Amino acid sequence: MKMNRVETETSAVVPSRMLPTRLRTLQALGIFCGFAAGAWLGGAEAPIKLVNPDISPITVSLIMVFGVFLARWSVPAFIRGTSQVHSDVLQAPHLVVWAVLAGCMWAVANTLTIYAIRNVGLSIAFPLWNTNSLLGIFWGFLLFNELHFAGWKRWLGVLGGAVCMFGGATLLAIASAHQAAPGKAAMGILAALGAGILWGTMYVPYRKAYLTGMNPLSFITFFSVGELVTMTLLAVGYRGATPLWHELVGARAVLFWLMLGGFVWVIGDLFQQYATKYVGISRGIPLSNTNQLWGLLWGLLVFHELRGGSQTVYAQVAGGSLLMAMGAVAIALSSATEREHSSWQDAADREGQRYGVENEYVRAGLEGREMQKGKITDKTAATPGTRSVLDWLLMLVTTFLFAVLAAMARLPHMEIALGWAAALVVTMLVLLATCGIALWRTTRFR
Amino acid sequence: MLANAADRASRSLFRVIATDIHFWIPFAVLIGGFVLLDHLH
Repeated sequence: MKMNRVETETSAVVPSRMLPTRLRTLQALGIFCGFAAGAWLGGAEAPIKLVNPDISPITVSLIMVFGVFLARWSVPAFIRGTSQVHSDVLQAPHLVVWAVLAGCMWAVANTLTIYAIRNVGLSIAFPLWNTNSLLGIFWGFLLFNELHFAGWKRWLGVLGGAVCMFGGATLLAIASAHQAAPGKAAMGILAALGAGILWGTMYVPYRKAYLTGMNPLSFITFFSVGELVTMTLLAVGYRGATPLWHELVGARAVLFWLMLGGFVWVIGDLFQQYATKYVGISRGIPLSNTNQLWGLLWGLLVFHELRGGSQTVYAQVAGGSLLMAMGAVAIALSSATEREHSSWQDAADREGQRYGVENEYVRAGLEGREMQKGKITDKTAATPGTRSVLDWLLMLVTTFLFAVLAAMARLPHMEIALGWAAALVVTMLVLLATCGIALWRTTRFR
Repeated sequence: MLANAADRASRSLFRVIATDIHFWIPFAVLIGGFVLLDHLH
């Protein structure tokens, strides 16, 4: 049995390191994924803006998580087939526990943000939970040897970039806050900080998984189980089963938009996972935090938010956007050196030995390539690209559900700039296609 | 026999996870999150 290796075998550590050209390619790919993640995570906010604010935030979150769950099983089935997920679990079964743990953390953090926005408003809450990137840098350095031997220029690029983005996020959040925050400020600040700590620490399981070689497509499937179970428990616990059901039935006209938001979010999250895998959490998280910029673009151009705002508001938007862009560029230019990457590999070797994961599996994951079958002892590795009946079933059921919900959906009466919406959708699709092709060519979605 | 082996393997797996300090950091943060949420609610 595979799991027996945990106590009986020790993986041989191969001292050879990744080729410098391959390292540079993967770093560039990770940074590209970080920017694509920002666009898609920001775009996920658009369908949610079409939803009536009368629906309880917890119910909104729960419906989105249903969409997320469907996407997290059907997208991997579409891209690589679920046999790959099975194969990954056999290689590194411990990562199922880590993925479920990360999913639980996401659900709690997301619920906390609802309380934060309600108590202190978006302008204070958003920058506070965006501190997750600073915490991510801390965990990356402390636990996974990130930024070790990076040199002061790269430290300055990453830390300075993250601080710059934090400043930009603060300005943007202040500019986009529409309503003054009611009382209970301390509680709101606590909730926002709590969400930031949870999201910043959630990247520990992410990094753990990718250092050990797990495919992001496999990780997110188990992540969604923790996410859905926790969110359902929270919703039933806080709303009560019967009122929750009535609210869900009453919200059937907007179910499609919320679940579409969840689906779009998953695409963004998938890019974020690949960014985390190839550039680490210290660089991946700040880059995907550019989602705030995209969310603002949707709000400004498509939904006419801030129309008629004062000059101060526009100055805040321009300054905040510029700061965020500068921060992202600084981080993008601070990719890991060969020396830093070799300390990532030390951390990967440590993980492989602890959990008895096949060395070839760990190295193949880190290098974004398929395992060489002659080098592994397990024969369960599935051929990439093969799809089973289960895969087709997952894709068909998801498509059918979305089609039914789309038929029931109603567009609210609100002014939407369709031209800008189309332009932003096209931009997102271009990013999806180019980044997807780059991932396929370079790593075959490993 | 096979059932025993699977049982032994999963116990071993959970032991390795339980002795990994990396596990307790996010786990403690998650528990803190639940406590905070309960307090806010």
